Amino acid sequence: MKAKFILLIYFILFQTVAFGQTIISGIVLDEKGIALPGVNIFIKGGYDGATSKIDGSYRFETELEGYQILVFQFMGFKSSQISIECKAELLKIENIILTEEITEMNSVTISAGAMEASDEGKSVILRPLDIVTTPSAMGDIMGAFQTLPGTSTVGNDGRLFVRGGDASEVGIYIDGMRVGNAYGTTAGNVPSRTRFNPNLFKGTFFSTGGYSAEYGQALSSALALNTKDLSIRSQGDLSIMSVGGGYSHTLANEKQSITASANYFNLQPYQNLIKQEIDFEAAPNAWDLEVAAQKKTGKNGLLKVMARTESGGMSLWQQLPGTDRKVLVDLKNDYSYAQANWRTILKNEWTIFTGISYSKNLDQIGYDSLQIERRNELIHIKGTAIKDFSDRLSAKFGVEHFIHPYSEKLVREGWIRDFDDRETYLFTEWDLYLNKDLVFRGGLRGGASSVSEEKWLDPRFSVAYQLKEKGQLSFAAGSFHQLPVDNFRVLNTDLQNSESNHLILNYLFSKDGFTFRAETFYKSYENLVTFEGSPDNPELLKNGGSGYAKGIDFFFRDRQTFKNTDYWVTYSFVDSKRSFNQFQTEVQPSFAPKHNLSIVVKHFITPLKSQLGASFAYNDGYSFTNPNVDNSEMNSKTKSFQNLSLSWSYLPKPNLIIHLACTNVLGRDNVFGYTFSPKANSQGIFESIPQGQVAPRFLFLGIFLTLSKDKTANNLNNL
Amino acid sequence: MKKYILTTALSILWITLSFASESAFEEAMIKQLKSKSIIQTAEEAQDVINGFMRIAEANEGEWLPLYYAALTQTESAFRFDVNKDQFFDQALEITKKAAQISPSNSEITALHGYILMGKISLDPGSRGQSLSPQVMELFGKAIAQDRSNPRAVNLMSQMELGMSKFFGSGPERACGMARMSMELYQNEEEKVSETYILPTWGKDQMVELMKNCN
Repeated sequence: MKAKFILLIYFILFQTVAFGQTIISGIVLDEKGIALPGVNIFIKGGYDGATSKIDGSYRFETELEGYQILVFQFMGFKSSQISIECKAELLKIENIILTEEITEMNSVTISAGAMEASDEGKSVILRPLDIVTTPSAMGDIMGAFQTLPGTSTVGNDGRLFVRGGDASEVGIYIDGMRVGNAYGTTAGNVPSRTRFNPNLFKGTFFSTGGYSAEYGQALSSALALNTKDLSIRSQGDLSIMSVGGGYSHTLANEKQSITASANYFNLQPYQNLIKQEIDFEAAPNAWDLEVAAQKKTGKNGLLKVMARTESGGMSLWQQLPGTDRKVLVDLKNDYSYAQANWRTILKNEWTIFTGISYSKNLDQIGYDSLQIERRNELIHIKGTAIKDFSDRLSAKFGVEHFIHPYSEKLVREGWIRDFDDRETYLFTEWDLYLNKDLVFRGGLRGGASSVSEEKWLDPRFSVAYQLKEKGQLSFAAGSFHQLPVDNFRVLNTDLQNSESNHLILNYLFSKDGFTFRAETFYKSYENLVTFEGSPDNPELLKNGGSGYAKGIDFFFRDRQTFKNTDYWVTYSFVDSKRSFNQFQTEVQPSFAPKHNLSIVVKHFITPLKSQLGASFAYNDGYSFTNPNVDNSEMNSKTKSFQNLSLSWSYLPKPNLIIHLACTNVLGRDNVFGYTFSPKANSQGIFESIPQGQVAPRFLFLGIFLTLSKDKTANNLNNL
Repeated sequence: MKKYILTTALSILWITLSFASESAFEEAMIKQLKSKSIIQTAEEAQDVINGFMRIAEANEGEWLPLYYAALTQTESAFRFDVNKDQFFDQALEITKKAAQISPSNSEITALHGYILMGKISLDPGSRGQSLSPQVMELFGKAIAQDRSNPRAVNLMSQMELGMSKFFGSGPERACGMARMSMELYQNEEEKVSETYILPTWGKDQMVELMKNCN
């Protein structure tokens, strides 16, 4: 009897447990009303729950009773909660709709005018590593960007020319801070290089127009270089090159790292071996010292400090057209750049950035008997704050101040002319995502200059729309102001801003391994500087020029089709005319060839442990004024520019790389223009000298060795 | 007969009660681990991930459920046709949460490196350069944090093997590590019981890798 009783009690207990279960069921949908599988549905604080099935439905049992919170959780979506009452029955939950969280990875990004080089970016235009492995670039950042759409190669200049704009129209920034005199000073037809080693940077953002309100004082383009974060290990890097050598040492722990480096370059030994077209008295030479340090502050902060100083020079004989005379051009350059910036994330979705940078450049130029000294300093102070109101709306506010003294001095005569400008800017930019496929960006940038006594306002606007899974359309428009170059402003401090308006329409398609990009643009130019006389001796400078640039460019990159092969093809068409400098009528500038083509191919051969690279650049020639034809301006064009470069990188060991590269392998005699004698000779002909290359080819051999405790450390970044 | 029924009833009651009194956490973990071991599809994997996330949600101080959620997510990205990059990123996020609960945990550090290995595998050309050193660093750290963790040595040996293949050097270094790892797995097996819920995975990979060694 007793046993029966116990059994009875047991079964009653069991029944109660069974009766106490609530069965919860329902359906989860996304914003478009489509079933959402994989969602985690559970009762808060308990183990009971289920995963939604392919039709979005779920069903589970719980023994919990009374009021409970039912949670709907799915990665990439905003979690949702509802209150339910469990009372041992079938509980049917109303349809739950989860909204997708908008993140950088899943949402459309504005790609009009923009090209990002990072390892993480969704669409690959250029990767940081490409900068050092593009054969024609010879390790120069600008060399790599010259293979991108919207740019043209001007071989005797080396700087970046974007869409019919001259080189000064590209604003260069490091970690958001402006860099003064980013290119090395050069003379004659010796192309310039960027002062900064590509090794410093983890990624770049290159815009060929319509860019953010954060950037100003650049009519054509903004190039933002972002330095590396903390180094992850201590190591030493040794480089021995045909043109010099250097050593860099890094010390790192989890909180901070510091890298110090020293380099010396001298082209003399190389030039002794290989004949140059230019008659050098002293080959280009330079040394530099650099320190870069990074430190984590708090949980989300990072402080970066960088300082660099360098000195270099060259001396060459320049032929004067129509005579046997040569003049000696002697150049000495001293340059320093330092900056510190700090970024941190605060509570309430605020991100703060503050920075200060200082550039100082001194050129000492001897031209025949003339001795000129040019001093340029730029201090940039900047603060920005970003507020994320939600994943759909964010705003950026910024303030900037520039202190910018500039002077030119004729040393023997003791004549000095100078100006000392103060510029202040305020900007704001708002991003609004209507959904993850549609984003609007509006920005406003206001500026004031003490020297030009002028205030101006630049509105900017862009929108991007995701077409299908892999394609997107972007549009950008905006107004851009830039003060004239320093050597013009010093002659006439009343010169005002030049102005440009951009319209850009962009289509971008990217799918694993493929990127296709097409972009068409129109930009207007107003208030360009014009003068009378020659560029060497400009007079009566005024804001009297105007013009336009329009065109279309295409970019295709494929890393998929051929094994171990990566290639990209770029074609840019630019139709640009402007009245500027000495040109009183609207002409095609010499730096804006119409048709520009670039092809880069890289192939890795595993058994040879080698990467082979080839790059080919073409344009249809540079316009120039030929006084022997008629007296109109820019009435002629040089023959087409062509350059085939090859490179070979050999990695015999993980920490050793041998890199060999040669530009213009075919030895084409490229001409970038002509210098004409100011007077006709006895036959009535203006004699000329072609502006050509420094040498038909440039050959580079480098050996890069990484020393660290970790023997697998690789030096490929130094290529 | 009476006695028999009584015994049966009591024993059933005893089993029920003892089952309930055992840590609900461990019980749930064991159940999820069992489901994890028989995953065949991406959907089943998601179900298991969600299960671990539910356990994590109910036990805020426990790193293991988060660890297994991240591990399952990682394995799912390796095995199934899913948005791999997104899966690895999400796994990374969960791993970071686990590391906040249990800092300097060798298993979590090794998993972190394993996920980055997955990220590299999606685009070795462009990611290898920046991520490989990070991965080696993490595995080195994981070994230093716990020298008896066979997975840390296992993963390190796999990176070594990849590297030696690339540079055409012999697999000796990788094989040495693999043997070490195998020993550690054997030591670990002695501890494993029915209710053991700490990580034990990875031995099969080692057996596979050992085929490269003489």
